[in-house]
Amino acid sequence: MKNIGVFICHCGINIAKTVDVEALTEEIKKYPGVAHAENYKYMCSDPGQNIITEAIKKHKLDAIVVSACSPTLHENTFRNTTARGGLNRYVCEMANIREHCSWVHDEKDIATKKAAKIIKSIIEKVKYDEPLDPILVNVTKRSLVVGGGIAGIQAALDIANAGVETILVEKSPSIGGHMIQLSETFPTLDCSQCIMTPKMVEVAQHDKITLLTYSEVEEIAGSVGNFHVKIRQKSPYIDWEKCNGCGECDQVCPVTTNDEFECNLSDRKAIYRPFPQAVPNRYTISKKGHPPCRIACPAGVNAQGYIALIRAGKYKEALALEREANPFASVCGRVCNHPCESDCVRGEVDQPVAIASLKRFAVENGSYEFEQKKPTGEKIAVIGSGPGGLSCAYFLAKQNYQVTVYEAEKIVGGMLVLGIPEFRLPRDSIKQDIDFIKSFGVQIKTGVKVGEHVSLSELQKEYRAVFLATGAYEEMKLNVEGENLEGVLHCIDFLKKVNLSEKVSLGKNVVVIGGGNAAVDAARVAKREGSNVTILYRRSRREMPANSWEVDEAIEEGIKIEFLVAPTKAIGKDKIEKVECIRMELGEPDSSGRRRPIPVKGSEFTVPVDNMILAISQRPKTDWLSSEFERTKWGTLVVDADTLETTVKGVYAGGDLVSGPATIIEAVAAGQKAAETIDAKIRGIKLERKEYATGRPDPEELKSIQKRQRAQMPTLDVSKRKGYDEVELGFDKESAAKEADRCLNCAICCECQQCEEVCEPDAIAHDMNDKILEYDVGALVVATGFDIYEPERLKEYGYGTIPDVVTSLQFERLLSASGPTAGDVKRPSDGTVPKRVVFIQCAGSRDKENHLEYCSKICCMYTAKHALLYKHRVHEGEPIIFYIDVRTAGKGYEEFYNRVTDEGTTYIRGKVSKVYQDNGKIVVMGADTLSGKQVEVEADMVVLAMGIVPTRGSEEFVRRLKIQCDANEWLTEAHPKLRPVESNTAGIFLAGAAQGPKDIPEVVSQASGAASKAIAILTQKEITFEPTIAGVNEDLCSGCSICVGVCPYNARELDKEEMVVKVTESLCQGCGSCSSACPSGAAQQRNLIDIQIEKMVTSALEEK
Amino acid sequence: MNKENFEPKIIGFFCKWCTSAAADLAGTSRKKYPPNVVPIRFFCSSRIDPQHILHAFEHGADGVLIGGCHFGDCHYQDGNYKTARRVALLHNLLNDLGIDKRRLRLEWISAAEGEKFTKVIQEFTDEIKKLGPIRGNGA
Repeated sequence: MKNIGVFICHCGINIAKTVDVEALTEEIKKYPGVAHAENYKYMCSDPGQNIITEAIKKHKLDAIVVSACSPTLHENTFRNTTARGGLNRYVCEMANIREHCSWVHDEKDIATKKAAKIIKSIIEKVKYDEPLDPILVNVTKRSLVVGGGIAGIQAALDIANAGVETILVEKSPSIGGHMIQLSETFPTLDCSQCIMTPKMVEVAQHDKITLLTYSEVEEIAGSVGNFHVKIRQKSPYIDWEKCNGCGECDQVCPVTTNDEFECNLSDRKAIYRPFPQAVPNRYTISKKGHPPCRIACPAGVNAQGYIALIRAGKYKEALALEREANPFASVCGRVCNHPCESDCVRGEVDQPVAIASLKRFAVENGSYEFEQKKPTGEKIAVIGSGPGGLSCAYFLAKQNYQVTVYEAEKIVGGMLVLGIPEFRLPRDSIKQDIDFIKSFGVQIKTGVKVGEHVSLSELQKEYRAVFLATGAYEEMKLNVEGENLEGVLHCIDFLKKVNLSEKVSLGKNVVVIGGGNAAVDAARVAKREGSNVTILYRRSRREMPANSWEVDEAIEEGIKIEFLVAPTKAIGKDKIEKVECIRMELGEPDSSGRRRPIPVKGSEFTVPVDNMILAISQRPKTDWLSSEFERTKWGTLVVDADTLETTVKGVYAGGDLVSGPATIIEAVAAGQKAAETIDAKIRGIKLERKEYATGRPDPEELKSIQKRQRAQMPTLDVSKRKGYDEVELGFDKESAAKEADRCLNCAICCECQQCEEVCEPDAIAHDMNDKILEYDVGALVVATGFDIYEPERLKEYGYGTIPDVVTSLQFERLLSASGPTAGDVKRPSDGTVPKRVVFIQCAGSRDKENHLEYCSKICCMYTAKHALLYKHRVHEGEPIIFYIDVRTAGKGYEEFYNRVTDEGTTYIRGKVSKVYQDNGKIVVMGADTLSGKQVEVEADMVVLAMGIVPTRGSEEFVRRLKIQCDANEWLTEAHPKLRPVESNTAGIFLAGAAQGPKDIPEVVSQASGAASKAIAILTQKEITFEPTIAGVNEDLCSGCSICVGVCPYNARELDKEEMVVKVTESLCQGCGSCSSACPSGAAQQRNLIDIQIEKMVTSALEEK
Repeated sequence: MNKENFEPKIIGFFCKWCTSAAADLAGTSRKKYPPNVVPIRFFCSSRIDPQHILHAFEHGADGVLIGGCHFGDCHYQDGNYKTARRVALLHNLLNDLGIDKRRLRLEWISAAEGEKFTKVIQEFTDEIKKLGPIRGNGA
């Protein structure tokens, strides 16, 4: 049993007046465990403390209870006394009989009785108190400052100047924050950039500062002295080690986007430096992955890129970019089904950009001489010279492979030349692409049928790899009676004859069966051959697989289409005379997702015809391939989806042979894919196909885009469409430029590669990835700053609808010598100088019902400054300020305000209710509360003195830090008066406007304050923690881990080998929530264990 | 026991950062309140195990008052949320045990609310007086 000493303080008369200290001492002396009790006038005085130290020796005391005031005041004092007396400081406890007893009760016997209960319960506690040692933790001598505005810059410099290594993290590409955007600063009118840039440069050059811009803190763990942080350094897509900030790239970049630094008053390029004095002086590329058009294209053709180049008038470069991913630029510019346009975001605003037609424009206007190359690498064979085969050949030849293409027909091009009629795809345009492909040294052998003239196994021996792209030419049957009658033709066969200029003779009336592109082509050809043509399609227009624009053109040309009709019988003696048809209706969707046609009983009818052309579908002919090649049930070849390798090693296949009849661009994509895998295989490297995020404008941005008509493709007059002249005529330069300008630059950077061309240090790195950096730091300063309140929310003030209503920050840029108007105040709408500017104070602030309840503090002064600077720029100008109150508390502020009014600014006291446009003038309607009248003021420009809010997006970071915010998301200080720069988490300090609205001098002094607090920790070798943390009794712990989930500090972790929970002592803050959650009593808070609490309760309830 | 002279025994479990500090402030401001609550100080209200509360009732407490920080103010981030959940569950259980749930009260009293502290002590003491002693006439 412990010998407990109890020392009762009179606190002068503060305790002794209402507590009978003598009687109390006598009573406590009798309490079990008490070896000694005495009272004294002032226990905290030197003699009082000496009483304790002497009593410890004299009475051999093991534990001390001091009954006096609140432990908040003197616990530390008496624990030190106890330690001086030779005991452990944690076996001393205080019983608060002043604040909790003598001061709140009047009657002496009642107060004495309660004091006895309080003391006894503390005696019970101290009985179980154990000697504890403070926890010592080493301090990592490095700090982290988050936010590169003036607050972060000041804090980082102060800490670094104290000799402590500092990391400054800023999320944008340059430090400077909002201050660098300001023109001049109140009340001294120093130029913001002039006073700030030296500090920014100092940061960059300081040997103790590591500057990480374009970076964000992603994770944080640990506690004071030892935080561990993970920082994501976003990819600027430029190697900053190499970039020298020369700005050549900026000149050639064809993409413009909103300039955030100029508050969207002007545009900047996709490759940019936020402002000329940026630190670091480096360029960054705004990139949002790949645009939807590029992702939609099976071959990944960079449509946004070549459109941007067309807009910039760089047609040659545009064509080169087109051909990078697709050699058939000329073909696809005419007949591609352009899935890119279906996904074009412009289509959500009005209509998709005419991407394919722009592609054709570049081909027609940007053609260039290409030199003949002679590859020297390994030999590859390609079978089939359609778009799939030739694409594969092209991509391989580009990699220096010697490619030979075997073509069974006499002409090159496969379905392009055999299946597509000339009026859609002139032969010259195909030749253009084929010549281009040939220029890479691709050899093409025509009239050589593999399997007949040369065997596949011979080719396999001669070549390192073989790519099969023989297409799908075998026509499917309709399976109706009379299908073999004379006059029944097969579509591909028919088109092939026409395309090869063989003789075809059609009768007067022709029906075409089918709804695909081939059917429509056949119909249009038949029409040109002089027949009356009707297409019979068994479903409706909606389900028709042919390109809708082709169908439109066919109808224009006088072709009839009968929907929901299918042939059932061809009738005739030897030659077809009539077709019997049946009407259909649509049922449930089938496996293709289209509604299944169902015959309507009894609806049969006959049509007299001379010819029937069947355009049902085709399948590949694979009888020349051995059984080693596996086929699907549709007769196509089985290939590995990733590599396109067939079931025979070293033989690859793609195009219609694998997919069945499909589009040209899909065949190109297959050729590209096969070339990549063949190349990777030969070089023995692992092929990695990178996934790109889809970039697109923000929904808000989309809303503000003006609708503009899509450029119409000029076509050959219908009356002239007799022969095979091309129907679509192509864009002229003017309409191409206009159309290209409709592109929304979804991914911002279009990867057109122009910057790469001009970058001398070779710094551009479009495939750069984000980097994750990890640091240990001892303390953090949070200086995440502010944003202005969203002006769009002030609908009554017309922001966003009236162009000359601007925010205060925009007005700063208009005043700034480095701003978009070089410091001249000009209206955004027409560039004229405003003669009268109305400033509206408290825009968003001090409006509890609708907006921000608080005062944003800086707006009165900056508005006064705005009025003065406007007057300086425009001498005859008339500034009028609407205000609720003018708050000018600050050194020199009232004097500044006086100067502003003296120099001719009108202040009207009253709130503005509405801003509207009338006859080209802006009208500001409000109340003058001094005269009690309603006023209407005409203005040329209105400036909204926007309230301020914590930086948007910073709340996520603050949540990760586990520090507190108030209801408005401003960071909460540990004490509003006495600890204004500390958060309530040890080691995390607050600087700048992140803690609340403040002006620059205040921000700077608070930053220095936060820095000095951080330095106080960082210059210590080790720091101590209270040892009253929660441990684990491993004998009792079952490893249930309930406490692990309860702990707010991640201090507890299950040791899976021992199946007990382990505690990281430096992380535990001693809340004790684990102790109450633990079902077995294994988690116990030191010196506040369950039995202590129970005994305290019991003793407090004992009746005497 | 006569209900009129009944002096209830109440245990006050207060967290160090808010409610105990509010009690300090009430003292410093020389507010007056009934002496029935004996305060026991915790670092955080989340240290209070429902067993401690039941222990108090078992040993003759007529009422138990728990005081913590307001939501969002917890010094240990979210300890008070845990307390709120535990007390809510315990309230359900108390009825089964035959204890009027009004005998257990949870209050959020910040360090600045000395006035509120005084008011709560007064109200709670009055309420328990009305309920009478936990043992004998009217649990």
